[in-house]
Amino acid sequence: MEIFRNIAARRLRSTLTGGGVAAGILALTVTGALAEHFQAQFAGGVRYFSSNIQVADDAGGYAAVVSLGKIAAIQQVPGVAVALPSITVLARPGAAGPLLGLPDTIVYADPREHAYSTLRTAIAEGRQLRPDAQGEVVLGAGLAGKLGARVGDRLDLPVRPGNANPDFVSHPFIVVGIQRRTDTLPDATAQVGLLDAQLLLQESLPASFRDRVDPSSLASAITVYGKSGVDLDRLADRISASVPGVVATRPTDFVRSFDQSATFVAVAVGAALLGLLFGAVLVVGTMLAAVAERQPEIGLKIAFGARRWHIVAEYLFEAALLGLAGGLAGFVVGAGLAELLDLAGRGIGMDVFEVSGRLAELAVGLAVALGAGAGLVPAVRAARVDPDLALRLL
Amino acid sequence: MAAIEVRDLTLTYRQGEPSVVQALAGVTLSVQAGEFVSVVGRSGTGKTTLLHAVGLLVRPTSGRVVLDGVDTTALSDHERASFRGGRIGFVLRRHGLLPALTVLENVMLPLRYAPIGTRRGRRARELLDLVGLAGHVDDRPDQLTVGQAQRAAIARALIKAPALVLADEPTADVDDETSDELLYLLQQLNRTSGVTLVVATDDPDVASCLDRVIRLRDGRVVSDQRLRVDRKRPG
Repeated sequence: MEIFRNIAARRLRSTLTGGGVAAGILALTVTGALAEHFQAQFAGGVRYFSSNIQVADDAGGYAAVVSLGKIAAIQQVPGVAVALPSITVLARPGAAGPLLGLPDTIVYADPREHAYSTLRTAIAEGRQLRPDAQGEVVLGAGLAGKLGARVGDRLDLPVRPGNANPDFVSHPFIVVGIQRRTDTLPDATAQVGLLDAQLLLQESLPASFRDRVDPSSLASAITVYGKSGVDLDRLADRISASVPGVVATRPTDFVRSFDQSATFVAVAVGAALLGLLFGAVLVVGTMLAAVAERQPEIGLKIAFGARRWHIVAEYLFEAALLGLAGGLAGFVVGAGLAELLDLAGRGIGMDVFEVSGRLAELAVGLAVALGAGAGLVPAVRAARVDPDLALRLL
Repeated sequence: MAAIEVRDLTLTYRQGEPSVVQALAGVTLSVQAGEFVSVVGRSGTGKTTLLHAVGLLVRPTSGRVVLDGVDTTALSDHERASFRGGRIGFVLRRHGLLPALTVLENVMLPLRYAPIGTRRGRRARELLDLVGLAGHVDDRPDQLTVGQAQRAAIARALIKAPALVLADEPTADVDDETSDELLYLLQQLNRTSGVTLVVATDDPDVASCLDRVIRLRDGRVVSDQRLRVDRKRPG
């Protein structure tokens, strides 16, 4: 109780110190929420693309297209469990993509992939696509939010850009389902049936090329799952070596090419360190001032039998309490700010903050540790107060 | 056995090289259990230093302090803290009540640093009753008069039922009437509980009211006079 009252008695100093800690924790919360969001996205991608092999045409140029005729040959490679077509087309061509993270895409994934994929999705509203569906779409939660689409709405896909070419074509789709939020890849997708996807893929190709291909033979890539216990990197090498005209990317290489989670963690840690350093300096200053001003009290406590560790514990607790107060305030304001920014940015695809329980624990825990850590030197100094001299200051 | 046995006590403070101040220069004295003693002398004669040395708040440069037969010179810092916390009470020149605590919490403060089993809120209330502050338990120190605050400080010094109470100029900042009240209170505590009381003061009138007067000058004992005074209740 004495510590609470001491903090309350020095209201301005405590508020400024708590405010400093709060500013650091606010920065940590906002950058941490950004990192959490992208980490979740990347984690899903890493999980998905680590479990299969992406096979593309090795011709270069329009290598985003591969012939489905290759599937039979790939299926013959020892170790292959299944080879399935997958199609990916930009959902909003010409629109500025997100600064970081995943672009919105129209995708086709073979229904058989459910038996192999590590990425699970579920329907929040409406229903799944029917196997032979045409003109139907199931939207990821993020894309549905951005487009303001609901089940039963009519949607033209791809979304026409403002500066669309004269030959730009879009097609009407009925939204039959919206997926539950996954915080990763599927959130930014519009799932359509195979025929629709092949048509959209063909139309996304340059005019000089699109008329020479049969859309029913097209896919963006072939997704290969290995049999249980098979090393996928080695299987990828075997596919590239034994199937002419395709290149199979090793899952480890593929994941490395897009996984930027380390960058986000580094940004978050950097921001946190800067913020926390600022807060730590304030806590040290405040606690040193408190020690200087309360020397007679410390002398008195020693006279009444307080051991040095009692004094250290009291000052550490006070510093940790300042950290906790600042940390809670910083986290609440930071989380609120992240939520507001998300609300404001949702319409333009900037729904990029994820305030998780883990982040809350980290922010508040760090604030307390910061307070206690920064209070250590003043606390030790307090414990070294000479009671003989301190009591003369009364 | 003497409550306090001080032999050839010297204490030198360094006030920046090479200046040194000899606060105590070979003090030898003995105080029996239950005595009510004043240490008197002008400011700077070493009264506070002597009390702090006897109270184990400062280690002497040389000499010995024996309390209840225990030679404290050989004790570790931890042992000195335990001894001090358990057997010695302090009353200071300015009451030294912590402003963040209520009167009751201030009186109970020494119990915070005692083993759990000895924490007794009831005793704190009894002591506050004894010193006439039963109606002020929840007050803050700034709501008390100087005399009331000093009485609360006396209750605080007694909370762990110490054998020895060291009071450093407890009447320095109060008027004569309050001074008389405080001295009467200290005397009653000495008479009824048998606690050994050593009061440092630079006021000869205060000193003359106690059972024994030890006079210090320049860090040395220059006289040691025994009296027997029974104070009347003031007012």
